[in-house]
Amino acid sequence: MICAGIDAGSRTIKIVLMDAETKTVITKGLIDQGVEQEKLVLDLYERLFRDNHLNKEDVHRIVATGYGRKIINFAHATITEITCQAVGVHHLLPEAMTIIDIGGQDSKILHLDKDGKIRDFSMNDRCAGGTGHFLEVVAKRLEVSIESLGEMASKSKTPAAISSMCVVFAETEIIGLLATGKKREDIIAGIQRAIAQRVAAMSCHNGGFPIAFTGGVAMISGMDTALQSVLGHNVIVSPYPQMTCALGAAIMASSESVRARL
Amino acid sequence: MGKCCSNTNQPAGIGPVEWFGNMIDNCYEYALRSRSEGKHVVGIMCEYTPRELIMAAGALPVCLCGGSAEMIPFAEKHLPANLCPLIKSTYGYHLQKANPFLEMADMIVAETTCDGKKKMYELMSETRPVYVLELPQKPDDSDAMKHWIAELCKFKTRLEERFGVEITDEKIRKAIQTMNRERYLRRQLAELMKSESPPLRGRELLEFKSIISGIETDFDKYAEAARILKSSANAVDNSGRIRVLMTGVPIVHGAERVLDIIESRGGLVVCMDNCTGLKPILEDVDETSTEPMVALAEKYLHLPCSVMTKNERRLEQLRRLAAQYRPQCIIELIWQACITYDVESYRIRQLAEELGIPYLKIETDYSPSDSARISLRVEALFETINQEPCQEK
Repeated sequence: MICAGIDAGSRTIKIVLMDAETKTVITKGLIDQGVEQEKLVLDLYERLFRDNHLNKEDVHRIVATGYGRKIINFAHATITEITCQAVGVHHLLPEAMTIIDIGGQDSKILHLDKDGKIRDFSMNDRCAGGTGHFLEVVAKRLEVSIESLGEMASKSKTPAAISSMCVVFAETEIIGLLATGKKREDIIAGIQRAIAQRVAAMSCHNGGFPIAFTGGVAMISGMDTALQSVLGHNVIVSPYPQMTCALGAAIMASSESVRARL
Repeated sequence: MGKCCSNTNQPAGIGPVEWFGNMIDNCYEYALRSRSEGKHVVGIMCEYTPRELIMAAGALPVCLCGGSAEMIPFAEKHLPANLCPLIKSTYGYHLQKANPFLEMADMIVAETTCDGKKKMYELMSETRPVYVLELPQKPDDSDAMKHWIAELCKFKTRLEERFGVEITDEKIRKAIQTMNRERYLRRQLAELMKSESPPLRGRELLEFKSIISGIETDFDKYAEAARILKSSANAVDNSGRIRVLMTGVPIVHGAERVLDIIESRGGLVVCMDNCTGLKPILEDVDETSTEPMVALAEKYLHLPCSVMTKNERRLEQLRRLAAQYRPQCIIELIWQACITYDVESYRIRQLAEELGIPYLKIETDYSPSDSARISLRVEALFETINQEPCQEK
C-alpha cells in the first residue's frame, strides 16, 4: 500500500512515496516549480513510479501540501505545510523541539512539544526578506553560484552590516557596498547574518531545544553557522532538509489510510 | 449572510438581516431626514466619545471610521505609507470628500487615543470643524477621572455653543437610557454566541450594527433578530466549528476580510472583544446617578483600549470572556503600524498561555495581497487544535 506526499513549494515541487504499513520511504523526487504546476507535479509523480517500477494503482492516499496544495486536483486531501513540516521533522529527529524552516518565499519557526505536536508557530509576513529568494537575488547580484555562498562567507573577517531586509532595498544596498569596495565574502556573510537575525526574531521567547533546520536554505552552507551564532545554540540541519514537508504529508497520508482500513 | 432571520413573516416590512444588510443606506436616509428636520450631524471616530452628549444636544452621532482600501492611496499623498489603514482610509475619504456622512458633519469629534489619529486630525482640522477630546492614558491615577470629567464638560459647552442648545441633566439622562437600551440589545445578540452551537456566525453577528446610534427602527430590528435567533426553529449546527475569540483592533465596516477568512476555514468567531464587538457595550452608564456627567465619564474611561497604561482591564475582561464564551484559540488582529495593540499583543500571548489555548497574531492592512498567507496560518492553527488535520477536498 503506497501513500504519497506532495509538497508544491514556491521554488520546487517535492514528492515522497511511502509504504503505508511500515512508514518507510520508497522513493522521493524533486523538480523546479513553474507556471504549469499541476503538469509538473504529474510529470514528477509519474517519473517516480516509472523509474522505480511501481504501480500507481497501489496508491491508497495522496496528501498535498505547500502553497500550491489546493490546485493539485488528484490529491485526496490537503494539509498545511506547517503541520506537515512538524510531522516530517518529528519522524526524522524526534528530539527536535524547535524547527526553523527557510524556503523559497517563506520562513517559519515551529515550536513543538515532546510528542511532536505544534505548540506555537510564526512565519514571515508579506515580504520575502529572510528567505531563499533573498539569497538567490544576492547570489545573482554578486555573480556567484548559490552553492558557493557558504564557502565564500567563511572567508569573511568583517561581515558587512546589512540594514535592509527588503529584497529590493537590499539589492540597492549591495550595489552601494560594492561601490565602496566592500569584498564579496563580507557582503555574503553580512547577508547571511541579517537573514539569521530576522528569522531568530520570530522565535518564541520560550522555545525549546534542540533546533532542527529545514527548507532549501538549510542546504546552503554557512546558513546553519549564521543561525547558530545569532541564536547561541546548536542548529541541526535535518536529513533531506528540502523533503521534510513532503515526508510529513506522506506520513499523514499513511496514517490516514492505515486508520481507514482498521 | 445566512438565512437565519430572513424567512420570517414580517407584517411591518423586511427582516433584520435585510435591514442591517442595508445599514449604510438606512443611515444615509435617516441622516438626510433628520437634517431636514433641523438636526445636526456630529462625526465620531472612537468609542471613547460619549454619544450620549451628542444626542443630548439634539444631534446625530455618526461613526466615520474608514474601512475602504480604495481610499488609502489618496491618503498617502499626505500621510506616511506605514500607518494604520483605518486612519489612512478615514483620511482618504476626507480628501476625496467621498464619505457623505463626513460631508454632512457639522462637527467632528476627535480624541487623543493613538498618535496617528491625533496627528491626522490636525491635518483634517485645516478644512473641517474638528473638536479634540484629550483622553487621560493612566486611567487608574487619582486625577485621571477629574481630568476626563473636565474634558467632557468642555465638550458639552462646545456642543451647546455650536448648536445653540442647553444640555440639561434631564436630556443627558434620556440619552443615557437610549444608549443603554442600544447596548443591551446588541449585547443580547452577542451573548447568543455563548451557546455550544450558536445560531449564527461571527460575521453575521457583526452585521447587526449601525453607524448612527439611537435609531428606533434599528432597536426594533435588534430585538426582532434576538427573538428569531433564540427560537429553536432557526437553529443551525455550528457545533463542529472551532470556537475563536478575536481580539485587537476594530473591524470597521468593509474591512471584515480576516474574519471572513477565519470562518471560511472552519472557525466560528464566538467573541470579539474589540471596539466593533463587545468592548463598548459590556458596561452601561448608571441611569440613576444624580451626576450624569460623572456617570458618563466613568463608563467611558473604563474602556480597556491599548492606549491605556497599564491596561490590566483588557486582560481581566479577556479572562472573563474566555470563561463565558469558551474559545479554543485566540486570534489577535493588528492593523499595520498600530503600535499600542502590537506591543500589547505580547501580553495577550502570555494570557493565552495562561489560559492554555493557542494564540495567533495577524498583522495586516486592508489590501487582500496577504490573504493566502493569512489563510495558511489560520488553517495550520485549526489543524493543531483539531488533531485531525486531513481536510478532505
